[in-house]
Amino acid sequence: MLIVYFLSAFAISGTLLYLRNRALQLFFNVLFLAVQTVLTVYAYCHLNENDSIYFAFDSIGVILSGVLTLLGYATFYHSYLYLERRSDTKRNKSIYYAALILLSASMNGAYFSKHLGTFWICVEATTLCVSALIYHERTPIALEATWKYVFICSVGISIALVGILSISVAVSKEGLTDLDLNSIVAHAQGMNTKWIKIAFILVLTGFSAKMSLFPLYAVCVDANTVAPPPINAFISTALKNVGFLGIFRMYTIIAQTDALPWANNVLMITGIISIAVSAAQLLRVNHFNRMLAFSCTEHMGIVALALSAGGIGYYAAVLHIVLHSFAKAGFFYQIGQVYSIYNSYLIKECGNYIKLNPLGAIVVILAFICVTAIPPSGLFVSEFMTFKSLFAGDHYYIAIAALFLLTVIMFVIGKDLLRLLYYNGDGFTAPQSVKINRLETVSQFIFFGFIIYLGVNPPEFFSDLIRGATAVLP
Amino acid sequence: MTTFSLLLLFELTLIILSFTERVKRFLTMLMIQGVLLFGIAYLQLQHINALYLAFILLETIIIKGLLVPLFLNQMRKRNNFNRLAHSKVSTFITVMAISAAIVFGFLLSSNIHDDNLQTKFFAASIATIITGIYFMIVHRNIFTHIIGYLIMENGVFLFSLAVGSEMPMLVNTAILLDIFVGVLVLGIFANRVGDTFKNMHVDDLAQLKH
Repeated sequence: MLIVYFLSAFAISGTLLYLRNRALQLFFNVLFLAVQTVLTVYAYCHLNENDSIYFAFDSIGVILSGVLTLLGYATFYHSYLYLERRSDTKRNKSIYYAALILLSASMNGAYFSKHLGTFWICVEATTLCVSALIYHERTPIALEATWKYVFICSVGISIALVGILSISVAVSKEGLTDLDLNSIVAHAQGMNTKWIKIAFILVLTGFSAKMSLFPLYAVCVDANTVAPPPINAFISTALKNVGFLGIFRMYTIIAQTDALPWANNVLMITGIISIAVSAAQLLRVNHFNRMLAFSCTEHMGIVALALSAGGIGYYAAVLHIVLHSFAKAGFFYQIGQVYSIYNSYLIKECGNYIKLNPLGAIVVILAFICVTAIPPSGLFVSEFMTFKSLFAGDHYYIAIAALFLLTVIMFVIGKDLLRLLYYNGDGFTAPQSVKINRLETVSQFIFFGFIIYLGVNPPEFFSDLIRGATAVLP
Repeated sequence: MTTFSLLLLFELTLIILSFTERVKRFLTMLMIQGVLLFGIAYLQLQHINALYLAFILLETIIIKGLLVPLFLNQMRKRNNFNRLAHSKVSTFITVMAISAAIVFGFLLSSNIHDDNLQTKFFAASIATIITGIYFMIVHRNIFTHIIGYLIMENGVFLFSLAVGSEMPMLVNTAILLDIFVGVLVLGIFANRVGDTFKNMHVDDLAQLKH
């Protein structure tokens, strides 16, 4: 099935690259979304089955692919609106759609890879596709962000490759000759923990560039600053999930060994530093996209803390990743609308949004509630479980420090959003003409609805999938 | 020629790189590294599937030894970039640092006793990876960053030889993809950076923080 999916994606992307007709572009985009949906449904129906030699439909892959599919609908819709508003050349529009489809295909490849080598190749492929999308506006600042993204990600992913190669030293002791994830997990107990630890550190460092986690978090922030809003929504969610999956896969290996407490300590330190860095940066941020990008780093820090805490924290980590995807995507789409009104992402140049776009203002308020994990946001549930497992594991200092930092973050984001909503004082000039498409907010309401529903009353199949994803963990 | 002597020559190229200031010589060293890796792979991997071996040999000699240096040379000419600007670190310190990396690689490998690890490759790979990262850190020019990245990639290639002489095809494909990103994509963007900012200095790339 995945071979068919990849071939379809390549064919559609290749066709779009040469298509200049708008109606046909629309048709092929819808066709890809249909193929994407079929893949996700097929994967769910064939759960835990192998596919196309190097792939398998495991629970975590199905969850993330499902999230990607839902985000895909909204991203293609908002991309269409974004491109319609701009006067890009037809060639640039074609490149945009072609790269977006290849990005989705590479991310799906990463989600379903059961071989670490294939996973790595898919992650590298995402870097290539994202570079074309970040550079879409062809401005010097877009060039700067693209350069930094491609360069730092490539270095990070090369470091991760060294980590993956280190695993092969550990597995060869057990007589394994390939990097099949299931075989590695099954034989992990007898492996040399020294090599597993080296691999874990390198993979964590390398994929932190994709997950927006300390130490290589900055690359994602820069990319988010200039990327088109729909792409921001996509790379801040589905692509971060790819980075998470890389670290999660490595964690499932190390979790079978005696090095688990050590790995938990490393993750905990990484998580708390990520939250601290994002809190410090948010205090001086003056750009909405950067604000959301640092908020992503904060949430990825929480995910790292949840994983390190273990127990119910495993469930919380996967739930948090899913809910964060919807929350941040919805928020980025709305920031795109804010930009179309003020023609600026700078916080100091925006205000009185509640008068200019009341429906959008409601979305901003809902987004604030969801992102900062205020009930009834589902993120409150995942964060509550995270802190519960931290306290249960006697990690009081880490939990209290994290709670303090989250309070600072909540204050800063709240302050900036209140300014956006109500500020009408000195230095603020309201835009002359405001054209608002009310349909643009629909996707955000749907996503925020998902966050509340999945957090407060998750359907049984969703909970089963998360339990399936974490079943291999102790 | 034995594998060991080729590895020693490879390490010698790292030392030469440490005191090189002419960009053309940098590229010559990269070319020599590609040829040396071809020789090392040929001597080390003769027992593997002939098709895989052919793929790896072609990758090392054509991509690493020929196309990459030629592409970078075109880029150098286009941007009129002949000599490295002085970095904050002196040449003497750079030579010492890279020599220390080589010594560190040997010391580390001599302390690792693992039957599944080929220590001579491991020592060279560690030194090469550190050298690549060092170049990326101390130099402020994006052209040198690409060269540092490619040196690091050569280190990853040696590392893959160190961890298993079978060197699965997938890993090799991964390295090829990495080089593709490193040279083509980074090269294309580096050219654009050169055109847009009229300079390839990283200090010019600081608009995002404002």
